Amino acid sequence: MTAQDQRVRKLRRTSTAFVALVAAGAIGMSSAMAQTTIDRSKWSPDYVREIAGTLEVDTAKECAEVTPLDYEGKVTFWYVGPTEAEPDLHKQMDQEFWDAFKETYPNIELTVQNINYNQMLDKLRTASLGRAAPMLARMPILWGVEFAAKGFLQEMGPEDVGYTVDEFWPGAMKSVTWEGTTYGIPTNNETMALIWNSELFKEAGLDPESPPATWDQLVEYSNTIKQETGKSGYGLVARVNAGNTPFRFMPVMWAEGGGALDEAEDNPTYEDVYIGNAGSKKALQHAYDMYVRDKSVPVSALTNTQTENQDPFIAGQLAMVIAHPAEYATMLDRARKATGSDKEIAQKVVDNMRYGLIPEGDVRRSVVFGGSNIHMFKDDFVDGGEVDRQAALALVCFMTSPEWSTKLSWVISNPGNLRGFATKWNKERLDSIKFLDVATSMLPYGVPFPVIPESTEIMNIIVPGMLQNALTEKMTVDEALADADDKVKELRSGL
Amino acid sequence: MATAIGETRPTARRGPGLAGRIYKHRTDYLYILPALIVMFVVIGYPVYYVVELSFFKTPPSLAMSEKIFVGVDNYSRILQAKSFHEVTMNTVVWTVFSTLFAFILGFGAALALDRAFFLRGPLRGALLIPFVISAVAGSFVWRWMYNSDIGVIGAFLVELGITDRPLNFLDNTQTVLASLIVVNVWREFPFAMIMMLAGLQTVPDELHRAAKMDGASVIQRFFHVTMPHLKSVTLITVLLLTVNNLNSFIIPWIMTGGGPANASDIWITAIYQLAFGRVRFGIASAYSVILFLVMMVLGYYYVRIMTRGDERRAE
Repeated sequence: MTAQDQRVRKLRRTSTAFVALVAAGAIGMSSAMAQTTIDRSKWSPDYVREIAGTLEVDTAKECAEVTPLDYEGKVTFWYVGPTEAEPDLHKQMDQEFWDAFKETYPNIELTVQNINYNQMLDKLRTASLGRAAPMLARMPILWGVEFAAKGFLQEMGPEDVGYTVDEFWPGAMKSVTWEGTTYGIPTNNETMALIWNSELFKEAGLDPESPPATWDQLVEYSNTIKQETGKSGYGLVARVNAGNTPFRFMPVMWAEGGGALDEAEDNPTYEDVYIGNAGSKKALQHAYDMYVRDKSVPVSALTNTQTENQDPFIAGQLAMVIAHPAEYATMLDRARKATGSDKEIAQKVVDNMRYGLIPEGDVRRSVVFGGSNIHMFKDDFVDGGEVDRQAALALVCFMTSPEWSTKLSWVISNPGNLRGFATKWNKERLDSIKFLDVATSMLPYGVPFPVIPESTEIMNIIVPGMLQNALTEKMTVDEALADADDKVKELRSGL
Repeated sequence: MATAIGETRPTARRGPGLAGRIYKHRTDYLYILPALIVMFVVIGYPVYYVVELSFFKTPPSLAMSEKIFVGVDNYSRILQAKSFHEVTMNTVVWTVFSTLFAFILGFGAALALDRAFFLRGPLRGALLIPFVISAVAGSFVWRWMYNSDIGVIGAFLVELGITDRPLNFLDNTQTVLASLIVVNVWREFPFAMIMMLAGLQTVPDELHRAAKMDGASVIQRFFHVTMPHLKSVTLITVLLLTVNNLNSFIIPWIMTGGGPANASDIWITAIYQLAFGRVRFGIASAYSVILFLVMMVLGYYYVRIMTRGDERRAE
């Protein structure tokens, strides 16, 4: 680290001490070591509303202390940005971010690539191997550790851009840490919630305002809805090689005491394999019961992602799904675009949409701690062979600031920087986005996927493969679990 | 015929050796030299690298420079794996039936379109549409049409009273491969149609007329006049379809990702999954080498058919 870097760090530590304390206080924490430990009992929809709008920030001023505003340089950046299918507001915020950065740092030349989620990982892997990676990449939370383990990433943490570790969720920080070293900074974090159509609940004789409290109950509700209305109860997703599958199935495994490894435990070692245990079996049995025994979920679950569940949901043919806070905005968009009699049906579904906590299991309530992190590649692996670290840090600071980590995740996620929750922009979000507070209140139950390089294979291939083996009855539930258990153990043995 | 002792065996006229033949055609080789150099760079090196990688283990936790030499372990692991046998069987079924039905359908269409009739032109153009449409777009459309819950095919069958509930096309291990083959045949038959139509147009009309005058029936004329002329084009079409089907990726990957439970996983999707889904470049390379060898055998026969008679003409 250069002397200048050290001076910057010292300056930033002093200047952010106050705001960090404010943030720590705002999120209901106190500790002599200034460690952020989220008070789960306080983090509720009411609490999230209470702190919103209590903090003023000046992003340009904060980032100027990391990289002078007149700095001349160049940054290359890849990210999974907004797609055409996403709400217009998200696209607008993304454009505003780039405009604001160019205005704040007019002499930093940007080369930005917005890459589709399904292509970005392969493209980054290939580019890194070919020494043509970008200087910076914002990656979904699951991906970074593989690049860190392979030695592609530079050491970089919140303190490098003037923030403190306390300003980020501990689970998010865990996802950017490999063998004790920090290789990135969280940009946004989100958890999903249970969404249901209260009208279908009513039609099935269920309390329209009370979602299932446990996974056992969800299986029963799903069956009741199918029996009483003929419509699908729960939007099971079991496609292989699609992130949607583990995001919806792992919470069930964790809730019932299972998991891939011990990732849901308070202090995971990632050494113990849980995929064959009783908790995992119970979770797989739930899926089997709904798909094979009760036939209460869509038959197309094996080829579906959540996108394919959106049509039956908006058509009133599917009662419950697990999805992001943005699902409401997506449904509103769909209802707006619908025509004729479809429009009436879609609007009725939107009016009857309800958000609630994801059900509990025998052991806990849990949800995947999702989001993205920003990482910096090493000189050896980037196009041109040199990273303009100062210019790159300017972009990292800007993107992970309370202001922009809030605005960039406006409808789709939550600020990675916890101070973002206390800004006026978060208050505006809460006032304008229905159910955001409910989805946000799932954050303390968030469990990150195992922070190991093999995580992608376990989550995207082995877990969905286990589901498909059981649901197609190619294997029994026990055989599917044993098969997955063998695969995870083999993978962890380094083969 | 035996040769008596003392008799002199007639010696075959020996042509120039390999070096002599190359020298004789040195100008021809110079013309193709630039193409050979480009091929060597963009094909030769990657092939070499894939073969080299196939002898290494590349766990996801290690950078490629730290790959571990394992000899032929990757090959023996693949050949012993139960999943390899399942995937190979899927690949054989996929390739054989896709090729067979695409050819039969394409040949049938070519025979029909070979005769002049009203609207033949527009119909010929319309039949080319599946071949012209992007395979990605076509796959998504078929995926929606097949959807086991809200697919239009299932709804149509229920509406007609043929089935009580929508059929499960893609989410059933028994039906998924057949459903994908239908899509593949839909996409490929126009290719066979074009090839066979071109072949049909080379059959001399005089021969047909002569055979007809000799009293040959339509079927006799087809088997004894038309088919002999189509032998080469048929072989080439079938070979190209086979190679193309062995290399198919888009349709199975987009429609099912190889699922459910690997029931539609074929060699190419398995290789892609191993390399990019599981980051096992070593074992994926070994898989690719096996596929490469199979393709080389097919390629050898393809080149032999294509160049039959060229050697003599070149002398």
